[in-house]
Amino acid sequence: MSLLEIRDLRIDYRTESGVLRAVDDVSLVVERGDAVGVVGESGCGKSTLGLAIPLLLAPNATVAGGSIRLDGTSIADLDERQLNRLRWTTVSFIFQGAMNALNPVQRIDQQILEAIRIHEPETSTATARARVVELLGLVGIAPSRAASYPHEFSGGMRQRAMIAMALACQPALVIADEPTTALDAISQDQILQLLRDLRRRRGQGLIMISHDLAAITRVCDRIVVMYAGVIVETGTTADVLGRRDAALGTIHPYTRALLDAHPDLHGPRVLAPGLSGHPPDLARPIVGCRFADRCAHATDHCRAVAPALVAVSRDHDVRCHFAVAERVT
Amino acid sequence: MRGSYWVRKLASLAATLYATVSFNFLLFHVLPGNPVQLLARSGHYDAAARRQLVALFELNHSLLDQYVIYLNNTLHGNLGFSYVYREPVTTVLGSAIGNTLLLVGTATFITVVVGVWLGVVAASRANSLTDATVSVTSLSLWSMPDFFTGMILIFVCGVWIHVLPISGIESSGLASGGLAHVLDIARHLVLPATTLVLVNAAEFSLITRNSLVDTLVEDYVLTARAKGVSRRAIVWRHALRNALLPIVTATALYVGMVLGGAIQVETVFSWPGMGLLIYNAVEQRDYPVLEASFLIFAIAVIVTNFASDVLYRLLDPRVRRT
Amino acid sequence: MSVLDDDVARRPGVWRDLWRDRMGRSGLIMMVAVLFVVLVGPMIFPFQSQSFGTSSASILQPPSAAHWFGTTELGQDVFRQFLLGGRISLYVGVFATVIAIVLGAGLGLVSGYYAGWRDAVLMRITDFFLVLPTLPLIIVLAALFGQSIVITSLVIGLTSWPQTARIIRSQVLSLRERALVLRVRSLGASNYRIMARHILPNVAPLIFANLVLVLSGAILAQAALAFLGLGDPVQVSWGTMLHNAFNAGAMSTGAWWYILTPGAGIVVMVLAFSLIGHSLDRVLNPLRRSQR
Ligand SMILES: Nc1ncnc2c1ncn2[C@@H]1O[C@H](COP(=O)(O)OP(=O)(O)OP(=O)(O)O)[C@@H](O)[C@H]1O
Ligand SMILES: [Mg+2]
Repeated sequence: MSLLEIRDLRIDYRTESGVLRAVDDVSLVVERGDAVGVVGESGCGKSTLGLAIPLLLAPNATVAGGSIRLDGTSIADLDERQLNRLRWTTVSFIFQGAMNALNPVQRIDQQILEAIRIHEPETSTATARARVVELLGLVGIAPSRAASYPHEFSGGMRQRAMIAMALACQPALVIADEPTTALDAISQDQILQLLRDLRRRRGQGLIMISHDLAAITRVCDRIVVMYAGVIVETGTTADVLGRRDAALGTIHPYTRALLDAHPDLHGPRVLAPGLSGHPPDLARPIVGCRFADRCAHATDHCRAVAPALVAVSRDHDVRCHFAVAERVT
Repeated sequence: MRGSYWVRKLASLAATLYATVSFNFLLFHVLPGNPVQLLARSGHYDAAARRQLVALFELNHSLLDQYVIYLNNTLHGNLGFSYVYREPVTTVLGSAIGNTLLLVGTATFITVVVGVWLGVVAASRANSLTDATVSVTSLSLWSMPDFFTGMILIFVCGVWIHVLPISGIESSGLASGGLAHVLDIARHLVLPATTLVLVNAAEFSLITRNSLVDTLVEDYVLTARAKGVSRRAIVWRHALRNALLPIVTATALYVGMVLGGAIQVETVFSWPGMGLLIYNAVEQRDYPVLEASFLIFAIAVIVTNFASDVLYRLLDPRVRRT
Repeated sequence: MSVLDDDVARRPGVWRDLWRDRMGRSGLIMMVAVLFVVLVGPMIFPFQSQSFGTSSASILQPPSAAHWFGTTELGQDVFRQFLLGGRISLYVGVFATVIAIVLGAGLGLVSGYYAGWRDAVLMRITDFFLVLPTLPLIIVLAALFGQSIVITSLVIGLTSWPQTARIIRSQVLSLRERALVLRVRSLGASNYRIMARHILPNVAPLIFANLVLVLSGAILAQAALAFLGLGDPVQVSWGTMLHNAFNAGAMSTGAWWYILTPGAGIVVMVLAFSLIGHSLDRVLNPLRRSQR
């Protein structure tokens, strides 16, 4: 049984200008101990996908199709109370702690303690407190700082505190949504290092969401590239990165554009050459390939017929008409 | 740097109080149309009486001297002499202050409790029928002048169904101090306090609701949901304290409003407090009483505002340690 | 494309959104109804002269065919007073609001745009007036300076601006940064031009939302003043009617028509504007918008 199994997931937002499909036909399997990176431009539906897993979607969102199974249980069948029990114990979140994800009027240790209290009412206060100190130590925060308020921490420290909090109830899966955004380079580095170590040492499953491909490749062993609500490419990190100079058809043109934005993956990010314009408006029906408008290789066929996700090799799928062409020849 | 904060804060309080007293002097002693001039010029007084008046109000001094005398008097609690009661204003104010405190204090306590609760109910079910009902009811109540609400309550409770006393603070002929006396005052308090609560809780619940709705979309609320915190606990433990912060800053506005309401309500219910005193002072042009009452109201607002600043520091750690 | 274009482009939508919002629509309809009654009513029902009751039989009479809303303690027709009184309430409300908004928005704009010492000084003054209890201050001023409707309007207007100034200032402060970027772009644009062309249009909806709320407040303040006997004795407003009704013992004698008629007038007029203001607040606040 897989830890997480998402099948044909569709998520709609009701908006004033109509229904917006933020996630379309997404399937994804995460095994225990896997680290999967979800990458894509702003607005492509990464956060929506992540929030859907413990059903934390905004009130105007609906799951319009598909299923999400955690440890074999379909979360659609759970009521609010059961969901609350599952949250943080099975799936926890690392939000962008550098921003506003921590309650500004509660002390850090209290916020971590709260998670333990809710899910393990039988644990004594002393034990829980000891755990908080241990967790903070794990992310490099001294016990003397535990009783601080969020504003007394730097952005990087807040993010590390967020990570400590995410680990409080030993979840099987941690979802990190933009864990390094808005941090300085050194803090980013620390956080990535931390995520990597934790995964290795504690064997937690990880889904890391980012628009920063370089960050993802440092932590994850599988990459999911999203574009305008759909998965356009998925494969092992090595597979996807290995194709960067390969022929069209073994790598999605959008992934290539993302890769080109990071010449050596650690260097400064430059604007993706040849990638201009914006993703399509998700509130309107889209005909053909979603990327066609911005693709240098697009043909009339691309603009008319939406491509399917096809395997170009074992464990490596690409949603592109040219991918089909290569396999046929 | 904690000390310097309090020094600055107290200095600012003192400056505001000083400005208020000066403003009062400006209103009542300097601006054209001020009561002293009106009186001195009016034909009701013969030359001797006018001279007495001029002496009484120190009009024979220069404006600057008058100002210094005024400051000095005010500082020593000498608030002048009532034209009507022929007593020092402080004597006239005596019991009125306590009565108003009783009314406004009771009303405020209930307003906060009811207002917060209604605001939470409306915000937790934002955009539902309950929410719309609370909002529309609140807006309607807010749109009623305090005195009109009071008149309707008198009509309903006093005229149609004789259940509660509609006037004054106590029935005559009861020995003071006993339990019966206290209960009697409580019964008299019901309608005026209810009037103030209806009007102010309406506004309070609207503000709480809006602030809470804004807070409930904050990132840390999502974090709490992700942690598996129950809906109730999210609202009460995580969101409410943050949502109340902007409301605490609006304390001065609230106190100003409730005092304005007290004037109307005390008039309608003949509640012998500062409000009724102001009403009578206006009617009889008893300017010293009016002047002192306004000064006391203004100081009350400023002092509560100061207290709310202190409360804010307790509620918001971000302010506390900067 | 100017940096501020996106905001300006949203403006026509405000009216549409207001009409779509249930509260906003109720407010607009109520406002039109009130304005119709108050402005057109007296033309439809022209009353020749104030007919005083000649006998005690016409005093404090309940509604009848001759007097739709009954009579006053002097035997006057309540309906007539009601129609004419609304004008006074509205007149004072609008006059006072214009003063308060011009002052408040003006100070807010200057304070927010220039920032620095001008801001510090102006906000210090604003804060001082903000903590003065408004209605008591209005009562004192009216008692000192007189109670004609012009003076009442001035008094209410001159005491109702601080909140507007605060609100507009903070909005302008947040627009300022972007406006200064613009200034660098279109080199040479004067402060005045930036303020008039770019800042003012962006705060206009906010000013409007505030205006409606100040208007409700001003109408309530006028009513309270008149009720406390500080109304214009010649120009009988709804508040004055309630003052007379109260003093004539309308409550103990059960003359509900004399109380409910002017009272309902005030409530509906104030409610119309506060519904609009409340709805505008939601429409203009993107957070609450997406929540709908
Ligand atoms: N509550 C909401 N109501 C309506 N539309 C929404 C809502 N939340 C997100 N969207 C829309 O859904 C789409 C996907 O949003 P999502 O936040 O999942 O993107 P993302 O990939 O996480 O982007 P980012 O990198 O900016 O965080 C976007 O077009 C966004 O505008
Ligand atoms: Mg996101």
